Amino acid sequence: MSEALVHIDQFRMDFGDRTVIRDLSFDVGRGETFGFLGSNGSGKTTTIRALLGIYQPTAGILHIDGRPFRPEDGGRLGYLPEERGLYKKEKVIDVMTYFGRLKGLDRNAAKTWSLEYLERVALADKAGAQLDKLSGGQQQKVQLGVTIMNDPELLILDEPTKGFDPVNRRLLMDIIDGQKAKGATVVMVTHQMEEVERLCDRVILLKNGTAEAYGTIDEVQNQFGGRIIRVKHSGPIPASPRYTVTVNETNYSELSIGDDADEADILRELVASGVAVRSFATTKISLEEIFIRVYGDQNRAGAETYEMAEA
Amino acid sequence: MAQHNLSTVVTFEFFRTIGKKRFWAGTLAVPIIMAIVFGLLFASNSATDTAADAQKSAEFTISYTDASGLIPPEQAAVFGATTAASAEDGVAAVRSGRTDAFFDFPADPATNAVKVYGADQGLFENNKYSAVAQAMLTQAVNARIGSPELSALAGTDATIDMKTYHDGVESGGFNSAVPPLFFLVIFYGLIILLGGQMLSSTLEEKENRVTEMILTTLKPTTLISGKVLALFAIGLLQMVIFTSPVVIGYLFFREQINIPDLDLSALVFEPAPMITGFLILVGGFALFTNTLVAIGAVMPTVKEAGNYMAVMIALIFIPFYAVSLIFSNPQALIVQVFTYFPFSAPVTALLRNGLGSLGVVEAAIVIAILYIGAVLMFFLAVRLFQYGSISYASKVNIKTALSSGRRLPAATGTTAR
Repeated sequence: MSEALVHIDQFRMDFGDRTVIRDLSFDVGRGETFGFLGSNGSGKTTTIRALLGIYQPTAGILHIDGRPFRPEDGGRLGYLPEERGLYKKEKVIDVMTYFGRLKGLDRNAAKTWSLEYLERVALADKAGAQLDKLSGGQQQKVQLGVTIMNDPELLILDEPTKGFDPVNRRLLMDIIDGQKAKGATVVMVTHQMEEVERLCDRVILLKNGTAEAYGTIDEVQNQFGGRIIRVKHSGPIPASPRYTVTVNETNYSELSIGDDADEADILRELVASGVAVRSFATTKISLEEIFIRVYGDQNRAGAETYEMAEA
Repeated sequence: MAQHNLSTVVTFEFFRTIGKKRFWAGTLAVPIIMAIVFGLLFASNSATDTAADAQKSAEFTISYTDASGLIPPEQAAVFGATTAASAEDGVAAVRSGRTDAFFDFPADPATNAVKVYGADQGLFENNKYSAVAQAMLTQAVNARIGSPELSALAGTDATIDMKTYHDGVESGGFNSAVPPLFFLVIFYGLIILLGGQMLSSTLEEKENRVTEMILTTLKPTTLISGKVLALFAIGLLQMVIFTSPVVIGYLFFREQINIPDLDLSALVFEPAPMITGFLILVGGFALFTNTLVAIGAVMPTVKEAGNYMAVMIALIFIPFYAVSLIFSNPQALIVQVFTYFPFSAPVTALLRNGLGSLGVVEAAIVIAILYIGAVLMFFLAVRLFQYGSISYASKVNIKTALSSGRRLPAATGTTAR
């Protein structure tokens, strides 16, 4: 990892008697794209807000570029919050120019940049329109424009694709790619695992306020079993110290194996134990599977609690 | 950067407010209504003059009886009046339509009413009968006095020129009380017209979910300062617009719309009450603005905040419950409470300042209360906005917001253990 632009160490956050983040530590390298993953309520947004000084942390160090974030540094930051909106009764161009001014651009530069951006996202004819006359997707585009104004060094995007249709999601990803090409560091909070696999260099998985996994995508995949063998078969899969059965259906199973395991040995062992193997393929565990594995317990626990309450 | 951002916020807040049709509809409604009223006054005055002229020239038949003996027949003849045989005959003549009016002057008109009977001409037209009866009596009395000057003196109040002295120096009297009271009028105008906007100024960030974007580009102190300064500027603009029809009317159409001939040159602008009034106005406006902004920061919607707005408006009218004591006994307990309670202080103190019953020490204390209160409210508003405006859907618990950890200096990081 390159030199850290974001440094979080031993961060703890309490709301009253409730601790929502416990001793969280991680770094985001300069120029990298970092995935901040977690189920709803796991503490992602709280961490971002504390990093940006919106929340006061209970304990810990949260630094951007070697010091706590101050609003004066807002010109170098592009932040797309989860709870997003703009001044709905104002004209698109006025709102964009205002934020451009707050980020340190002069009026003309802010206006020129805004008009060029609106042209790029096919909203040039809406520059003089009131924001609340735009569709939800169009408003999202304007919000994204405000976020990337002044080519920020650090982009923090909290669920950036929320509310975007597939076409606009593609456009958004192109814009993020463009910012990355210009050297921006990107922190993405998202549930879209395919986006994470495509864009992110490293990720952190947060569960109940603690880091469940942290590292490059390969490292995280290895941490959760690394590889999976997908087997179509007849007959029961026997237990074995060489693998862990993660999916066990009538004629289909998934076996999680470590990096040092030999697939050929496993295949031989299955055949020797009487399993009729019809297909046998090895793949890496996907982030989505890891996500389900990590947070599935949580949801199941939630569902059980719900069922008990219902009963 | 902070200075640049402050001016950016002030400019944005000011121009987006005055750029709204709603703002101009509300602001121009007052002068337009005043212009319409002045126009109607002008038209009504013209119509009244015409009616009065017509009444003067109107002729009608009159009979009368005079038990007082004050009215000589030759003088009654000037009005076209003839004597009736008796009151009953006079009334009967009116009833039958043979004469238009009958006046029954009693033996002692000073203590008994003159009875007037007339053919009904409508509510306003009927006034001509009593006007002529009064004129007959007045002319008869004037003739008996024999001196127009004595008659005038007897018929009107004497003009009295009073001078009072304070510490050996002639005081300005009523003319010195009026200018400081302008500050009271301005205070009411600003709070009533701008109160809603003060309240919604921070709610807007919350309702539009702009708070997080704002807090990462602006210090809350800069944002709130910018909003308050913009409100001051908007208030000034509104005051200029509201007073413009009065000034134009006074300067160019005073005769036509019967504005009382106020001699502006007679007004006395004493420095001490004017400075005191100005300071109280600014302090009071700042206190109310910051308080309403703070309320806006903890409320989730304009609708819920509206209840508190009503309370604030009530507070500026409450001193009028004790207005007679403010005039007659400024040291009364209730007046003292209203003078020093921050939210009733501006109105009470401005009133007392105009009336000359606010001492120097009292004025200093009130001004201190208002300015200290305004500063405290400002920081409270900033704090509540910072920690409250993220609570998008619920009312902020003030205790929680205030007890949130303190922001440590940048040099020591955000470590708080």
